[in-house]
Amino acid sequence: MLRLSHIARTFGATRAVDDVSLDVRPGEILALVGENGAGKTTLMRIAAGELVPGSGSVETRGRVELVHQHFMLVNELTIAENLALITPFRFATRRTLERRAAETISRTGIELGGVSRRVGALSVGEKSKLELIKAISKEPATLILDEPTSVLTPSESAELFEVMRALAARGTAVVFISHKLPEVLAVAERIVVMRAGRVVAETRAAETTGMALAQLMIVPSGPAGSQPAARSRAESPALQAARGRITAIVGVAGNGQTELAARLLEEHPEAAHIPEDRTRDGIIRELSIAENLALRGVDANDAIARYSIRTAGAHQPAGDLSGGNQQKVVLARELGRRPRTIVAAEPTRGLDLEATRFVHEQLRAAADGGAAVTLITSDLDEAFALADEIRVIYRGTLGEPMSPAEATTRVASLMAGLS
Amino acid sequence: MPAGVLDLLPLAIVASTPLLLAVLGELFVQRSGIINLGIEGMMLVAALCAVLAARGSGSVTLGFAGGVAGAALVALLFGLFTTVLKADQIVTGTAINLFSLGATSFIWREMQAGPALPRMAVDPVVPLAWVVLPLLLALLLWNTSFGLCLRAAGENPAAVAASVRWHRAVAVAIEALLAGLAGAYLSLALSSGFAENMTSGRGFIALSIVIFGRWQVKGALAGTAIFGVAVALQYALQASSYQLPYHLLLAVPYVVTLLILCGVAGRVRAPESLGR
Amino acid sequence: MRRLLLAVAAAAVAVLLLALSGAAFGHAPGDLLGILVTGSVGSRFAFEGTLLKSVPLLLTGLSVAVAFRAGVWNIGAEGQFIVGALAGLLASRWGVVASLLAAMLAGAAWSSLATVMRLWRNAPEVLTTILLNFTAIHLLGWSVNGPLRERVAQYPQSDPAGASLPLLAGQLHAGIVVALAASVALWWLIHRTKEGLRLRATGYNPNAARWAGVNVRAQLARAMAISGAVAGLAGGIELLGVTHRLFERFASGYGYSGIAVALLAQLHPLATVLSAIFFGALVTGAGELQRTANISAAVAVLGQAVVILTLIAFDHARRRT
Repeated sequence: MLRLSHIARTFGATRAVDDVSLDVRPGEILALVGENGAGKTTLMRIAAGELVPGSGSVETRGRVELVHQHFMLVNELTIAENLALITPFRFATRRTLERRAAETISRTGIELGGVSRRVGALSVGEKSKLELIKAISKEPATLILDEPTSVLTPSESAELFEVMRALAARGTAVVFISHKLPEVLAVAERIVVMRAGRVVAETRAAETTGMALAQLMIVPSGPAGSQPAARSRAESPALQAARGRITAIVGVAGNGQTELAARLLEEHPEAAHIPEDRTRDGIIRELSIAENLALRGVDANDAIARYSIRTAGAHQPAGDLSGGNQQKVVLARELGRRPRTIVAAEPTRGLDLEATRFVHEQLRAAADGGAAVTLITSDLDEAFALADEIRVIYRGTLGEPMSPAEATTRVASLMAGLS
Repeated sequence: MPAGVLDLLPLAIVASTPLLLAVLGELFVQRSGIINLGIEGMMLVAALCAVLAARGSGSVTLGFAGGVAGAALVALLFGLFTTVLKADQIVTGTAINLFSLGATSFIWREMQAGPALPRMAVDPVVPLAWVVLPLLLALLLWNTSFGLCLRAAGENPAAVAASVRWHRAVAVAIEALLAGLAGAYLSLALSSGFAENMTSGRGFIALSIVIFGRWQVKGALAGTAIFGVAVALQYALQASSYQLPYHLLLAVPYVVTLLILCGVAGRVRAPESLGR
Repeated sequence: MRRLLLAVAAAAVAVLLLALSGAAFGHAPGDLLGILVTGSVGSRFAFEGTLLKSVPLLLTGLSVAVAFRAGVWNIGAEGQFIVGALAGLLASRWGVVASLLAAMLAGAAWSSLATVMRLWRNAPEVLTTILLNFTAIHLLGWSVNGPLRERVAQYPQSDPAGASLPLLAGQLHAGIVVALAASVALWWLIHRTKEGLRLRATGYNPNAARWAGVNVRAQLARAMAISGAVAGLAGGIELLGVTHRLFERFASGYGYSGIAVALLAQLHPLATVLSAIFFGALVTGAGELQRTANISAAVAVLGQAVVILTLIAFDHARRRT
């Protein structure tokens, strides 16, 4: 029902999707797996008509529905009202809306009661069910689910898989985007692996293993074959960042990294912070470079020279700089006061190779100077390049510290939730 | 003096009718995610246009129509600046208030002389404002597809498939209708004539009551009634033998509104995307 | 430079629109423009009048500029102006300096009421400051009809203040020096000190400011207090330099005009001087229009609104190109 031919799409300088062709057939469950930034979501947004491809063609028969990873719900409205939003009506009492909602829900075969409840009060599991109901009630020929299980409990996930199987049995083509290999192996018939915007492998679920898929997904492929160790069951142990060391926290986005960073900064109010969202929390675009630096008492000329910030001068507005140079300003401001604790979240996201190398050198130098550095990253290359020890965060739980050597063999499966 | 308060009720209801209309209008736009500080100016322009239209036509009804037309013009200006030019809603609202104050004072001086104003024989506005419109608006807001999309637009525009802009434009139009009636009632019924800056902050009080009433029609009615009684009480005190200073009593509405704001604002939740 | 051009263009559009709206009511636009110009800058006397009006406008404009620069919606300069003058009158028996200091303190205290309501109850300052304006107006009305009414009790006005600002030349009082000094001082504060840097950082991006070590709540509170102090000073100077007495319509919109003054100056304290002189001329010229052509002096307010709206439209056009 969905045929993608030679799709390509770039954002700025990055090739998000690079010449991908893919067929999805009625009644099948296809899993699309890959690392963060592999291009899965972009590809599927193109398939659903939300994005225009740079080149290539999309052929569809019937409706294509994409359920986003982030909820598109109105928290202040009830379940019934959220469902009514997608089906125009003239006049209806609250009771009528609720009756119609209950009917819609029962037609989808999903269990969700209490349609008069406010969506804001629902559990994430119930919210994701509601999103699914919204999509299914439009009777799509192709249903695409973007990371639907990232917030679900195991039993909720199992319920979702039942729904997916039932839909497929009725002839709907289901595309399932996921990082979680055990689930993929359990529910999908066909698995397509993407890396760096391209399809690197396609296989039948019955003919592969979790370890094989993990190796395909993640680039730094360490020696395979060793036994995956059990994930630490300890209550997320308090983070004791050691002085002079870099501890990398790695994980797939959305596994509690943001909350972890917030907690760390609460516990260490004096810590230097390299925020994840540079333009929202890092620099102040309207202020000059010198002024951004002066907020922490850092001298601009000194910083521009030491961090080789490429600029027309210290009085240029920080918003005019390139992403890499903006990040250098943040680094110079935060590291300039020789902090004892540093929390860096995705410090090289969106930077080019040279800028990335530079940021790494600075973090390394800070650690060598005695700072305790916590590096939260979804980029494994970064973790292996920098860290003295690596811990995996999965569903809000922090695994035990590993040496980089040990991590080489275990990190891929731990991140994918294999145990 | 409970009996005294009851006696005040009719006065309170009539005197706060324009305020209620403004509260209902502002409630509607805020539900759709817009904060219109310029409602003060809308009412002021409506008050003047109503007087001019009523005087020119000799008809009170056409006077009200003129008031609504005046408010609609101001609404058009507000909509143009906030949606098309994407200007800040607070700066635009403030500019519109200055504009309305300047324009009405200027025009009134030019056109002050004229025939006498027709009197209103019956007053359909009070029942309209206190019973019919609240009912209609509540039904529109809670029982129609349009109202549902409107509320969703105020909370999470990204989740609304329908045009957010269209819903907001209609909300501003409804506000213009109500603010137009409010301004016209002020000049045609309550004061029989126009005076410079005669709205004297009713628009801002209306904004505060919207917050107090938690963006609910019921809350708007209750908030306006409480406010109306407090103000009527002030009139009663003026007339009483207590000899309270008149000018301090004039400040009562604003102090009451400040107290109302402080009493509830911390505990209520505004529509999620209000003002964006 | 480009911003200066835009501001001049906006001012020109406003004046032209005023003349055109006069034409709509049968006045000759050329005559109106002539009266506006001669009435504001056409003679030494007229220009002195313009400068006299510019003093309170400069100070309320600075007050608004500080607040908006920090991202605080202080629409309350009008009320702070009045409360400043009230305190200034009470303290005037101890001399000019004491009187102006009292005016600043009172203005700061009045504006800080809004801060308290914001931080304590989350009440939006855009509303509380406006409501405090009306409260202040009636407080003034009560004062001049009650406790502060002149001893002969003939008019609802106060007795003359116990001190007055020295005159420099003609009607020009020393307040103009204070206002210019305030403009330089605020420029220095906002653009040359760490306090000002934090204030601007808070206004532009409170999230990032917080991560860069700024205590955002305290910063907002201080900006509001400074803003109120400057508006209060404006009231004190107007009392000691021009009116010498308080009466019900003492403020006559200077606080609201400050918003237009600040926006035309793009919130820059030094540019506010030019902006205030422009609006001072507009107000003075409009007064002359009322006297000679019987056109409401409120056209000055209309002009302020048109300036703000034109600036918005220009700004939009600039962002699109």
